[in-house]
Amino acid sequence: MCVEPESPEPVGDFADFERELQTALARRPAPPHLKRKIVGRLSQHAGRSHRMIWMERLAASLLLAAVAGGAAFWRHQEEQRRGEEAKQQVMTALRIANHALEQMNAQLAEHNRDAQ
Amino acid sequence: MAGDWQPDFEQLIDEHQSMVFSLALRMTGDYGLAEEIAQDVFLELNRHLRNIESPLHALLWLRRVTMSRSADALRRRRVRGIDQWVEIDETHGAQAEERSSPLADRVERLLATVPEPQRAALILRYQEDLTPEEIAATLGAPLATVKSHLQRGLKLLRAKAAIHLKEYVRGA
Repeated sequence: MCVEPESPEPVGDFADFERELQTALARRPAPPHLKRKIVGRLSQHAGRSHRMIWMERLAASLLLAAVAGGAAFWRHQEEQRRGEEAKQQVMTALRIANHALEQMNAQLAEHNRDAQ
Repeated sequence: MAGDWQPDFEQLIDEHQSMVFSLALRMTGDYGLAEEIAQDVFLELNRHLRNIESPLHALLWLRRVTMSRSADALRRRRVRGIDQWVEIDETHGAQAEERSSPLADRVERLLATVPEPQRAALILRYQEDLTPEEIAATLGAPLATVKSHLQRGLKLLRAKAAIHLKEYVRGA
């Protein structure tokens, strides 16, 4: 930055330069409607936050519903699978019992034939 | 302790909008930017309202944050490569008609040509009537630095005034 050459100590009105500076730098009035603009931006922010809160609630509800639905579906599937498994086990047991009975029946028939 | 004082945001705007705007305007030299800074500072105050403990705390907070946001705005301008000094001079000129004292206008325009740290110290000293200690606290700078900025800034401003405001000097 270019600094201008210094001049000798000012005289006359500038003898009280600091006082003049104080007068020159008195606070300026704020632009008209500054407050209204700030309050407007504030309510805009508040409105946005309000909408955001509702969107978050909606998203959370949807997520919760999806999780609950998924859990219910999984439980239903699991129950069905276990039921099927139990059914298969019973069928296997019946088949084994049937096989054993058939064997026993055959042995008894053979024994009867031998006795006759 | 927050005490019994309950901050009223709109009342704080009424009380301090002139100070906040004037600080931002004299720091940036741009009427529109100063208004934007003032709005941002008050919105930030609203977000921190629960931490404000007293009217004095609000005043000090606003002063400190306004100076800081103004410096940030000037820094952003420098990064974007805008010639702030030319702009400051032009925008001050545009607002000059609003003022009653032509000498005051010209002193203010000269102030815009003083380097930023010195300008900040001078604004707080002569607009806000702060002591060097208070200025140091507001700017978060060492006292010796602030005193130096005040001395140099005042000297530079006097020199500029003696050159550019000759017609106001008695006997010139």
